[in-house]
Amino acid sequence: MMAGVGGGNDFQWCFSQVKGAIDEDVAEADIISTVEFNCSGELLATGDKGGRVVIFQREQESKNRLLSRGEYNVYSTFQSHEPEFDYLKSLEIEEKINKIRWLPQQNAAHFLLSANDKTIKLWKISERDKRAEGYNLKDEDGRLRDQFRITTLRVPVLMPMDLMVEASPRRIFANAHTYHINSISVNSDYETYLSADDLRINLWHLEITDRSFNIVDIKPANMEELTEVITAAECHPHQCNVFVYSSSKGTIRLCDTRAAALCDRHSKFFEEPEDPSSRSFFSEIISSISDVKFSHSGRYMMTRDYLSVKVWDLNMENRPVETYQVHEYLRSKLCSLYENDCIFDKFECCWNGSDSAIMTGSYNNFFRMFDRNTRRDITLEASRENSKPRAMLKPRKVCTGGKRKKDEISVDSLDFNKKILHTAWHPKENVIAVAATNNLYIFQDKIN
Amino acid sequence: MEYKVEAHRIMSISLGKIYNSRVQRGGIKLHKNLLVSLVLRSARQVYLSDYYSGACLNAQSEREGNEWDITDSEREKFPPSATECDRVESTEETQPNEQPEKEREYRENDDEVKSDQVDCTSTLQEQNQNSSLDSVAKVSSETPPESITEPKESPSDSAVAERDSTPEANGESHQPPKTHVCSNRKRSAEESESGDSPQKRTKVASSNAKEDEEAEEMDTSNVSNLITIFGSSFSGLLSKESAKPEAEAEDSGQICCDQMLKNLNPWSTAIVAF
Repeated sequence: MMAGVGGGNDFQWCFSQVKGAIDEDVAEADIISTVEFNCSGELLATGDKGGRVVIFQREQESKNRLLSRGEYNVYSTFQSHEPEFDYLKSLEIEEKINKIRWLPQQNAAHFLLSANDKTIKLWKISERDKRAEGYNLKDEDGRLRDQFRITTLRVPVLMPMDLMVEASPRRIFANAHTYHINSISVNSDYETYLSADDLRINLWHLEITDRSFNIVDIKPANMEELTEVITAAECHPHQCNVFVYSSSKGTIRLCDTRAAALCDRHSKFFEEPEDPSSRSFFSEIISSISDVKFSHSGRYMMTRDYLSVKVWDLNMENRPVETYQVHEYLRSKLCSLYENDCIFDKFECCWNGSDSAIMTGSYNNFFRMFDRNTRRDITLEASRENSKPRAMLKPRKVCTGGKRKKDEISVDSLDFNKKILHTAWHPKENVIAVAATNNLYIFQDKIN
Repeated sequence: MEYKVEAHRIMSISLGKIYNSRVQRGGIKLHKNLLVSLVLRSARQVYLSDYYSGACLNAQSEREGNEWDITDSEREKFPPSATECDRVESTEETQPNEQPEKEREYRENDDEVKSDQVDCTSTLQEQNQNSSLDSVAKVSSETPPESITEPKESPSDSAVAERDSTPEANGESHQPPKTHVCSNRKRSAEESESGDSPQKRTKVASSNAKEDEEAEEMDTSNVSNLITIFGSSFSGLLSKESAKPEAEAEDSGQICCDQMLKNLNPWSTAIVAF
C-alpha cells in the first residue's frame, strides 16, 4: 500500500484487465515495444515489434458497476510500419515501433505520431458512425443508376451505421535520420515536434514532411572519437523553447532553442559525480540513461538508468534531488547480466498525474512504484496468476541474502526474460498500463 | 590472477557481441556497440595493469637476454618506411623462437590487411615465446603514455605479485622491446600513407570508439592475436610450453583470424558510411 494521489489515502492496486495471448510461446512480433495514454486518458495506444499499433478506448462508466471504472476495449488496430531494406547500406530497417506520442486533441479525430528506427508517421484516427443514404446517381450498393430512370430528386439523408474506426497516415516524416530513432516528443506549441537518434536531434513541423531542422548534432568529425550517444530526448511540457536530452554517459543537457539555431551548447548540464567506490567494468553501461521524462509541472525531470531512477530539479545541475534504487540487488550480478545482454535493457519510467509518484519496471514481471512524499516504495507483479477481476495485488519482495522469508523470491530465481520495460500512468487517475512482453496489464486503484 | 582470467573472459564476450551485432536484424546498434567497446577497453586496462605490475619481477630469464639482442637488431632494420616487411622477414631466421609457421601465417594475415605497420609489429611479436602475452602487450601499446611509461616505472615497484607465474616471467622480458615497438609504430603510423583504413578496420574490430589519437594506432594484428587467444580457449595464455598447444592454437586462431578479418572490412565500410 502506498499513499496515493491527492491526499494521504491509501490506495490498493487491483487487477483490472489483461490484453494479449496467453500462449507460452511468444511470437516476437507480438512483443509490446511502447505504451502511451493520450492526453485525456480515454485512449491507450500500444506499439509492438511487428510494426502494429493497437488502440484501446475506455468505455463510458456504467452506472451499475460503481466499484470499477470503465474498461479498455480495442478501438483500432492498424499496421503502422513495415520492414524496409536500405539498399545503399545493405541494412534491414526493423518495423518495430519505438515510440508513440499522442497529439493534443483539437477536433473529433485523434492524432498520434509513431516512430520506428528511421521513419515517423502521423496517423489520424477517426470515427465514422453515420453514412449518407438516398443518393440520386447511385444505388445503395454503389452501382450507378441509369440516368433515364431518374425521375425525382431527393436529398441524401445521414443514417446511423455501425461504428467504424479508421486510421489513415496523414504525414510521413522520412529520410532524416541516419541512426536509430530513440525518441519523439511533441512540443507544447502543438505545431512542432522533435525526433532524436543516437547522434542527432531534429525539429519538425507537423505540416511539413520534406524538411526538418537539425538542432543537435553530437557526431564527431572522426567517428573513432565517439564517446557518447544520445539516448532520449523530450520537450518541456510548457516552455516550447526548452528541451532536454540524455546521454549514454549518464548526463542530461537542457537546451534553449532561442539561444542558437544549432543547440550544441547546452544551457544546463546535469550530472551526478560518480561514486568511485562502486566502479566496475560495467560502471559506464549502468550509468547510461535509458529514459528521461519531465514532470507534468515542468519543474522536475526524471531519469532512468539501469539500477536507479533519479529525480532532478531543473534548477540544480550538480546532483539529483531524489534517487530511488530499483533493483540494487543486481549490482553484484552485472557480469552475468552483461553476458546475457540484460544489462542493455532500456527501462522507461513515468510520473503519475500529480507528480507525487513515479513508476518503473524491473525483471520477473515486477514493477516498482515510489511515492515521493512518503518515500515509500512498493514492488508489484504483473502475472496471470493474479488476474482475477479486481483482485488486489500483493506486494512482492526480493530476498537479497540470508534467510529467505516466505513469499520472498531470491535473486537467483528471478526470470530475466520477463522484463517490464514499458509502463504508463493515466494522466488524471490511478490507472496504470504495464507491458509484460506480449501482454498488456491494466491495474486500477480500489476505491475505498 | 583471477583478475586476468575475468578480464579476459569479459574481453572475449565483448568481442563476440561486437561480432554478432553485425548479423543482427535492424543493423548495427551504435549505442550498444559503444557500451560494449567501453567494457572491452576497461577489461583490457585491468588486464594490462595486472600484467605490468607482475611482469617486472623476474629479471633472471635467459630468454630476456636473447630477445634483447634480437630486438636491437630488429630495431636497426626497422625504418619507418614501406618496405619493412622484407627486412623483418629476414631477421626472423635469427630468432630462437619455436613458431616460424605461426609468423608466416601472421604475415599472410597481415598481407590481407595490407598494412605496413601491422607486418612489422606482428613479426616483432613473434619473437617472443608466449604469443598471448605478445598480443596483450601489443594491445597495450595503443594506450597512450601510460603503457610506455609503465615499463620504466615498474622496476621501481616492488610489488609482490606473482613471482611464480610463468606468463609474467616471460612477459617482463618483453617490456623494453615493446616500448620501442610503441615508438616505432607511432612514427610509422604518422608517416604511413595508408594510415586511415587499417586503423579504421582495427578500431572497429576491437572497439567502436576511442578517445585518444594514440588509440587509433591499434591495428589488425592486435585483434588477430586476441582472436587467437580466445580461439584457443586460453591454452595459449597460460601454457609455458610451446610447440604442440600453440600449433593447435594457431590453427583455430587462424580460422578465427580469417573470419574476423573478413568481417572487418564490411564493418569499417558501415562505419565510414555512417
